[in-house]
This record gives sequence, structure tokens and C-alpha cells, in this order.
Amino acid sequence: MRRDSIQRRLITTVVLSQAILTAGLVITGVFVTYWRLLSTLDAAMQAHAMSVAALVRYTEDASGNVYFDNSLLPESIDPNHPDQFMVWADRTGLLTRSEDWPDGLRLQPGPNQHWNFTWAGVPYHALQMSHVHILDREEGKSFRPQTLTIVYASPTIRIRQQVKAAGAFIALVSLVLLGATAWLALWRIRRGLLPLQILAQQAALVSTRSWQLQVPKEAEEIDELRPLTESMTQMLARLEHSFEQQRQFLGNAAHELKTPVAVLKSTLQSLLQRSRSSEEYRTGLQAALQDLDRLEQLLQWMLRLARAEQWAHEAGRHELDIIDINATCEEAVERIRSLAQSRDTAIHLSMDGPIPFRADPEDLQLVWTNLLENAVRYSQKGTSVEVAVTRDGERARVIFEDHGAGISPSDLPHIFDRFFRGDPSRTRATGGFGLGLAIAKAVVEAYGGSITAESAPGRGTRMTVELPGVHK
Amino acid sequence: MRVLIVEDEPRLAENVARSLRESAGYAVDIASDGQEGLFLAESNAYDVVLLDLMLPKLDGIELLRRIRQSGQHTPVLVLTAREDKESVVALLNAGADDYLTKPFDLGELLARTKALIRRGKGQPSPILAIGDLELNTINRTVQRGGRAITLTAMEYRVLEYLAHRPRAVVSKTELLEHLYDYNWEKFSNVIEVYISGLRRKLNEGSSRQLIRTLRGQGYMLQD
Repeated sequence: MRRDSIQRRLITTVVLSQAILTAGLVITGVFVTYWRLLSTLDAAMQAHAMSVAALVRYTEDASGNVYFDNSLLPESIDPNHPDQFMVWADRTGLLTRSEDWPDGLRLQPGPNQHWNFTWAGVPYHALQMSHVHILDREEGKSFRPQTLTIVYASPTIRIRQQVKAAGAFIALVSLVLLGATAWLALWRIRRGLLPLQILAQQAALVSTRSWQLQVPKEAEEIDELRPLTESMTQMLARLEHSFEQQRQFLGNAAHELKTPVAVLKSTLQSLLQRSRSSEEYRTGLQAALQDLDRLEQLLQWMLRLARAEQWAHEAGRHELDIIDINATCEEAVERIRSLAQSRDTAIHLSMDGPIPFRADPEDLQLVWTNLLENAVRYSQKGTSVEVAVTRDGERARVIFEDHGAGISPSDLPHIFDRFFRGDPSRTRATGGFGLGLAIAKAVVEAYGGSITAESAPGRGTRMTVELPGVHK
Repeated sequence: MRVLIVEDEPRLAENVARSLRESAGYAVDIASDGQEGLFLAESNAYDVVLLDLMLPKLDGIELLRRIRQSGQHTPVLVLTAREDKESVVALLNAGADDYLTKPFDLGELLARTKALIRRGKGQPSPILAIGDLELNTINRTVQRGGRAITLTAMEYRVLEYLAHRPRAVVSKTELLEHLYDYNWEKFSNVIEVYISGLRRKLNEGSSRQLIRTLRGQGYMLQD
């Protein structure tokens, strides 16, 4: 996995955007400076070209010829690098050109032109002016006046130096600013991310002993962190709940296992206490085997409960087939029938119409069997247990009603707790572990349903299971 | 010696009772719930009570409190599945003398039961000596003046009870109550048989009578 950090990302973003800004600033600055200097140079060159044009004179005769007066040449724009110029009259031809005029330079075809060229290693900016009237105009002369074409070129070395200096200056200032703002950004980002660190420190303090997350004030004040801290708090609450459940289950299970283990151990130890006849050993070993059976049974119930509760957390129902709830009830009644007969209890099952429901039939049968067995075991001899399966729109309702001793109001809220036994002696005698109702509840809840109990002591108990999502 | 077991798990109670009967020769009564336990403890003289804590009808701790409130000093050994400090402290504070956590070792249970009986009778040593008579309560042997004496199980039990209370008058009823379980009335005439048997065996080669009969009062073991 590649490691990354928010801090690094933010700083990279800030520095990168500032670098782009700096580059843009330097380029714009250089361009603007160059353009302004060049236009200044252009204006100077035009003025110089006009000064050169002013040196063209007509001859004294009436021929209309012109000559160039060399005596009053203007100074070069850049005193260190001489300007170049050439004057051409349309009838007389080339009038003059500067001493080291570049031979290869041709006149441009258009009337007025600017261009750059390099001559003898020196960069020049050139200006060509066409149809320039000769300023020296004498009145009353009959000849046709000539026009001039002037090419004036000035070295741009100085401009280039100035542009370079300006660019360097802008770049330097920008870099200093970039450094300063990057440092500021770093400092602010570090400070801005501090609540995350404090939150992480607090989160590190959460353990299975202390589930409380103390959300620091710094983190609480920050909008972006609120969804995180809220979901963390909720997640911790859920975790604590299920952890507590597991711990309780484990504690209860270990506790419940102690008695059957104690029984088995005492059986074997008392058998070994002295030498016995083989008949006594046989009886003792059979008793030990019975003790072991009970232990095994308890383990199986606990596993079943653990599985049902785990199953409640994994929703995989849509893969199940649609079955008829009535059929599962009939099956459960069949399973309990012999127990009911041995206790002289009748079971009446009433149903109206099929109730299609998506479920594993084994799950539902387990629930019905547990509830029915409970009802039969707590019934008075000679009474009956009524099972009513009804449908209320999209809900299926299954009611188990017995006419037994009922459940005391103080016990009623706890009957679905794991390992709860209202009266230990009676349930132990009937072989219960206090897990049947807990398993029934876990399975029903895994199907999104609910299970409730009402009881009138001395008159009987009514258990109601509701399952939502019945098919049409 | 007579022991009361208050335990709602019948198989466990049976096993412990069998072990106490077989290896210590104690008389054992079993109560399967708290109410029955309280009734038996209040109406009989037990030498030790083995008490389970999770009991139907009446909680073990509550039973213990009531026994102590009624002024009984019978030693109580609690059998508990819980071994956390709080519950141990609670049961000792309620008047328990000792406790064992389930699942326990029967040998340990036996040893602790015997120790509790000795202490209850003010006899910290497992070897009881009265004059030249010596009773080893661990391997249940008897010697007089270095000579080993072979006793029947019932003779030993009578002598052991008397030896726990030397120089005190023990009535026939008291002996019966402590040597038999709740059916003791049926055996009211056998005590004389055991006493005469004991006298005969103890006095072999010695003129001094160890067991005195006080007419209308009972028996006394003296040196």
C-alpha cells in the first residue's frame, strides 16, 4: 500500500499552484517589459529616421536630383552600439547608408515594416518607412518631387539586458513570496490538522475496558470532523453492546458448564474412592455417561444459540425458498406430540389458509418446537395448549397459549434472557437450560420479527410471535 | 457425624453424599431447595452443612443468614460456581466458614469437611488423644497404649463423636442425631450395642474404663 499524507497533499497543492502563479507572473512581466521597451524604441527609431530624412536635400539646379547631407547625422539611440540606416530616393536611387550597413539586408516588399534580424552577432530591430516626402521643398520648382524609402535599424542588446534584469527581479521577488507563503501554508495546515491528531490520541485510549470516546473540543468545533466523530461514537456504542453480549454469553456459558462438569467429576471421583464390584463400576460409568450426555446437550444448545445470534447479523435471507408457515407449525406439533401425550396434555392447532414466507423451515420449526415444548412442560396435567396461526396483511402471527402455572411478573421481563430460569429446580428436573426461549428470540429477530409473552400467574401464559414480510 | 447437603442438582448431591458416607462414615441428609434446607438445618443438629448458593425457593446466602441469625454455630461450607472476589467476600460475611468452587475435587471437599468438623468442636488436630487413647480421623484408625484396635464402622463413628467432645456428657439422643440421618429414631436401641462393643475392645489388656455411663444422662469419654 502506498502511504500518503493529507498534509503533504495540501502543501504540494499550495506550492504547485504558487509555482504556476510565479511562472505566469515572470512570463507576463518579461513580455510586458519587452513590449513596452520595444514600442519606446520604435518611437525613437521613427524620430531618428525622420531626422535622417530631413538630411535629404534637393540640388540647387532644377534637375530635381537629391543629395544627402552627411554633416548633421543624429546620434545613435544606444551610444554603445551604432544604429544602421539606409536612404533610397525613388528616382535617384540609393542616397546613403551607414558605414557598416549589412549588405545582405534587402528592402521589404510592403510600405511600412518592423522586423528583427541579427548582423555580425548583434540583434537589431529594423524599421522601414516608404513614401516619405522630402522635407526640403523649394517653392516654385517645376520638377516632380521625389519620395524616400528609409530603413533604420537599432541594436536591441540594451533592451534584452533590461528585459532580462526585469525578469530576474520579478522571479526573485516571486520566489521570496512563494517561500514565505509556502511556509505560512505549512504552518496553517499543520495547525489545521492538529484536531485530527488529538482525535487520534483520544481514539487510541478506547479499549475493551473503556469504550468511551472523549471527543476533544478542538475536533468538536470542526464541521468536517463531526460526521467522523459521530459515526465513531455510534460504532463504539454498537461494538460495546455486542462485545458486552459476547462477554456475558461467555461468562454465562462458563458458569453454566461448571455444574454439569462438577456432577461428572464427582461421579467419577466417588466411583474411584474405593475398590468396587464390577456391577458397581458399571452402574457408576452409566451414571457418568448420563452426566456427560447432559453436558453435551448443554453445549449443543449453546452452539445453536451462538449460531442463531450470529445469523441475525448476517442477512442472507433472499437466497432462501418460500415455504408455508403452517407446514412448519404442523411439523413442530408432530415433534412434541409424544411429550404432550406423556404429560397428558392436548395440543390444538388452528390455521386459516397458507402463509407463504421466505425462510429455512428448520429455523421456524426450531422456534415453534421450543415454544411448544415450554408450553407443554409448564401445563397442568389434563389441560391443553392452543396454537393459532393467523395472518394480518403482510404479518404472520403465531400464538401459543397454555393453562399452566404462568410466570410471575418479576420473572416475565427476563424469560428471554440467556440462561434465565424462573425456578431452577423445576427447569432442571425438566431438562431445561434456560436457553430455549433465548434461541427462539434470536431466530425470530434474525427474520426481523418479534416475540412477546403475556402471563397471568395461575392461569397460563401466551407467547406471540410476529413475522413481517409474508408473500402475497 | 451428621452432614446436611443443600444442593438442587440431585446427581451432585448424591455423589457428595455417597462419598461422605463411604469414606468418612458420616450420616448425610440432602435438601434440594433452600426452604427444605432451612427446615432441616433448624430442626436437626448437624456437624457441618454443605451449601450450594444457587437454590430454588430460598437463595443460599439468605439461608446462611437465617441459620446464623437463629444462633446456630454449625460450620457451613459453601459450594459455589462463582469465584469472583465480591461473591466470596459476600458469602464469608454472611457467615460461611469455608467455600469450594465448582467443579471441586471430592477429596478436597472431604478434607475441608473434616477440618470444619474438628474446628467446630474445638479440636484443631486431626489426631484426637484422650489419655492413652489415640484416634486418627484421617485414616480412621484407633490405638490404645500403642496397640491398634479394630472397630466396626459404627463403633468407630460412636467413638469419634465421643472423642470430639472429651469429658463431656453426650446423651443417647445426641449420639443418634449425629450418627444417623433423618431416620435416626428407628435405631434408638443400637447405641447400647455399640457402646458395649467399644468397651470390650478398648479395655482389652487394660483395667481402666474409658467410657462411663451416667444413668439417665448419657455417656462420657474420659481419661
